[in-house]
Amino acid sequence: MGGSTAGSGPENASDHTCYHCGLPADGSISANIDGARRHFCCNGCRSVCEAIHAAGLQGFYRRTPEGRLLGPPPEPPKDLRLYDIDEVQQEFVAGDEQVREVNLLVEGIHCAACVWLIEQGLAGCDGVAEARVNLTGRRLRVKWDSTRLKLSALLQRLADLGYVAVPFDPQAAEGSLQRENRRLLFRMAFAAFAAMNLMWISIALYAGADQGEFRTLFHWIGFAIATPTLAYSGWPFFAGAWRGLKQLRLGMDLPIAIGASITYLYSLYVTATGSGHVYWDTVVNFLFVILVGRYLEAMSKRQAVSATQRLLDLQPRVATLLNDGEESVVPIRAVRLGDIMLVRPGETIPADGEVLCGRSSVDESMLTGESTPVMRNAGDTVSAGTLNGTGALEVRVSAVLRDSALGRIVELVESAQASKAPIQCTADRIVPWFVGVTLALAAVTFAFWLRQDIETALMAATSVLIITCPCAFGLATPMAIAVASGTGARHGILVKNGAVLETLSNIDHFVFDKTGTVTEGRPQVIAAQDADGTWLQGVPDTWSDQRRDHLALAAALERRSEHPVARAVVEFADAAGIAYKHLEVDEFSAEPGFGVRGRVGGRELVIGTADWLTRRGVDMSAAARPLDADANAGAHVHCAVDGVAELRLTLLDRPRPDAAETVRALRADGIHVTLLTGDRRAVAERIAAEIGADQVIAEVLPADKDAVIGRLREAGQRVAMVGDGINDAPALVRADVGIAVGSGTDVSIASADIVLITSELARVRDAGLLARRTLQVIRQNIGLSIAYNLIMVPLAMAALITPLVAAIAMPISSLAVIGNSARIRNFVGGRGGAY
Amino acid sequence: MEVIYGLIPGMLILGLVAVVVLFWAARSGQFEDLEGDGQRILMDDDVEERDPRRFPDADD
Repeated sequence: MGGSTAGSGPENASDHTCYHCGLPADGSISANIDGARRHFCCNGCRSVCEAIHAAGLQGFYRRTPEGRLLGPPPEPPKDLRLYDIDEVQQEFVAGDEQVREVNLLVEGIHCAACVWLIEQGLAGCDGVAEARVNLTGRRLRVKWDSTRLKLSALLQRLADLGYVAVPFDPQAAEGSLQRENRRLLFRMAFAAFAAMNLMWISIALYAGADQGEFRTLFHWIGFAIATPTLAYSGWPFFAGAWRGLKQLRLGMDLPIAIGASITYLYSLYVTATGSGHVYWDTVVNFLFVILVGRYLEAMSKRQAVSATQRLLDLQPRVATLLNDGEESVVPIRAVRLGDIMLVRPGETIPADGEVLCGRSSVDESMLTGESTPVMRNAGDTVSAGTLNGTGALEVRVSAVLRDSALGRIVELVESAQASKAPIQCTADRIVPWFVGVTLALAAVTFAFWLRQDIETALMAATSVLIITCPCAFGLATPMAIAVASGTGARHGILVKNGAVLETLSNIDHFVFDKTGTVTEGRPQVIAAQDADGTWLQGVPDTWSDQRRDHLALAAALERRSEHPVARAVVEFADAAGIAYKHLEVDEFSAEPGFGVRGRVGGRELVIGTADWLTRRGVDMSAAARPLDADANAGAHVHCAVDGVAELRLTLLDRPRPDAAETVRALRADGIHVTLLTGDRRAVAERIAAEIGADQVIAEVLPADKDAVIGRLREAGQRVAMVGDGINDAPALVRADVGIAVGSGTDVSIASADIVLITSELARVRDAGLLARRTLQVIRQNIGLSIAYNLIMVPLAMAALITPLVAAIAMPISSLAVIGNSARIRNFVGGRGGAY
Repeated sequence: MEVIYGLIPGMLILGLVAVVVLFWAARSGQFEDLEGDGQRILMDDDVEERDPRRFPDADD
């Protein structure tokens, strides 16, 4: 780089910003870059910066926009080898044996400089034929020679540069829904083009050309424009009307199809015979406006999934198999029953099975809702989808994919989905009546004017069909829901299915899952007692010095452990302002599932369950004394110092800070609130009392949650379920409205109708308020369009409507509906108080 | 005013051509990455680093 270091790298005069990402750096991490000492905020930034300089791509730093922080690189991916397996590649790689092409979703792209860095960085790789980044979609398309470069090496190269890439199949990711939407967009665009061109022809006709020499020409031009529009843009309505007729249903498509084709045929008749007014512009404008409504409706049904969610869904699932001590990574589909698989610490268990050797604490919260990890020893069974904790396990596979516990939950979700009737919107219920009345009125009008002459009869009946304008009617619901979906997204409420907003507005029973939804999902110390059960009053700073010392010893020891209970003890000591960090810890050892022990400040300490302390020779007879109900509602940790039981801490998974407020607000709205949990009744009741829930349904098996919801619904209640775990997924589907909170698993998010981006429970109430506001607007919209019809239909039946009146009146009704729907944007949520 | 007999169909054909071009562009992915392609042309190759004398300003 010829000593020209002046231009490269951001200013790093102060030691307080990271040389790579610009975040604050404490100076503890630094490296030699281009002959100067540079500081970094984290090791991730350091290694990325080193890799960039090693590749001679430091021009990247000059290209980053000024004043914009890059942010540290995402966590590098763990096991990339699996992407080299041909079976895994099959799912997302195109091309032949040699030259292959893959689409990658890339995490960590911020700006155009990243595009440059990735494209240049990969171009420097031997074997890469073409790399092209899509900045908007955060995607990368790579063509490479698989004989010279492995896919895992390519992904590793990206990881070195600070980007995490996951292969995906663009066809599968886009989905049929989006392709359908795009087709609808094309139809709408074509109708818009036709409407614009017909508009000035119509204006000319209204302005006087109707009497002039160009009358016939303009009529035929209208025909030339309207015909392809009716065929192409109008196609979905004809198809829909035909489907409806076959099933003997009066749907919205029928009056649209009849209105458009009658208007078209009448105009064709006028054009051919040369007498009367043409309605070509009406045909086209009408289709355009309706298509706008349809498109908005389709958009509100979009799958509200974020990029990370897609990542999770599309990631190939693999397992590490052990074969005579040889490890091999295979796709999950290739795993056979009886195979032995190795599950490393921190990995997700890929299939159900029996533990052959090893012991580890396994986090099964996604299946059972139980937040505390459970111990698994040889002989125990483990389930697919659960997270292995601290130890490596060798597991004999007993069930894979659909047969696993996880697969059965997915099956429950699917059966619940199949049994759920499609949501009937207010508009859906009115449409058949509306259509029936419109057709009857048109027929009556035709019959009445037929006595005078066929020409007037035809025109009047057509006017009735045109002027009843299902435009406003067709826009009433989709427009309101589209605006509400957008407003919801701004408030952290993603509505996956717009129609559910109407259902949500008249829910009368909210069921909350406890663990992870109402509570934070991690225990906290709520009370402390002497070993004999005497309460230690108040916060630790009113305790005796001896007790404070004991807590300090315990905190010092627990600081070494990563168990949630240990974290709770440390937090408790921190909150009390107890100094423990100076204490020396020796001989630390942890017994997963039981407790920890060690020497702290020269004293022998044992912390854990009562049984375990007894086994270690501590006299726990005092602890056997019954506790009062309050203390009974949590888990206990005992602490013995020098072989004497000294302290007992009661831990409880505390409710989120806004839980009580949310429940109070819901109950003030007359909604029944129930807490549903698989936990013990005492714990559940304590939490319920704390948040003020009406009812507790405790000790429910994970698989029975959806049955509980089903019973509530059979009792005639409209039930909304709020949950987060995989075990909640069937219940989320079964409920009238399923709401997943943001921290939830991908399965629960996929099952829910509404996803809250954050874990704030106040959003649940906001969603309810938004839904009620939306329903109110939908009703107003329907009222508006009916009022319009009440005025215009009599005029049409009296044969008083001219094309000009129709051309002016129709857009006004649609605009009124659009304007009214836009008012939902002013929604500010429960805390704003403006509702 | 006879010119109108040629002008109007001509305009319609031109308009239709524009629509067809737009459809083709959307289908072939011209609107896939509006941000990136606009920025890409501003990202020159690192000529100045290889030969600083050609760009004396860059090396101050």
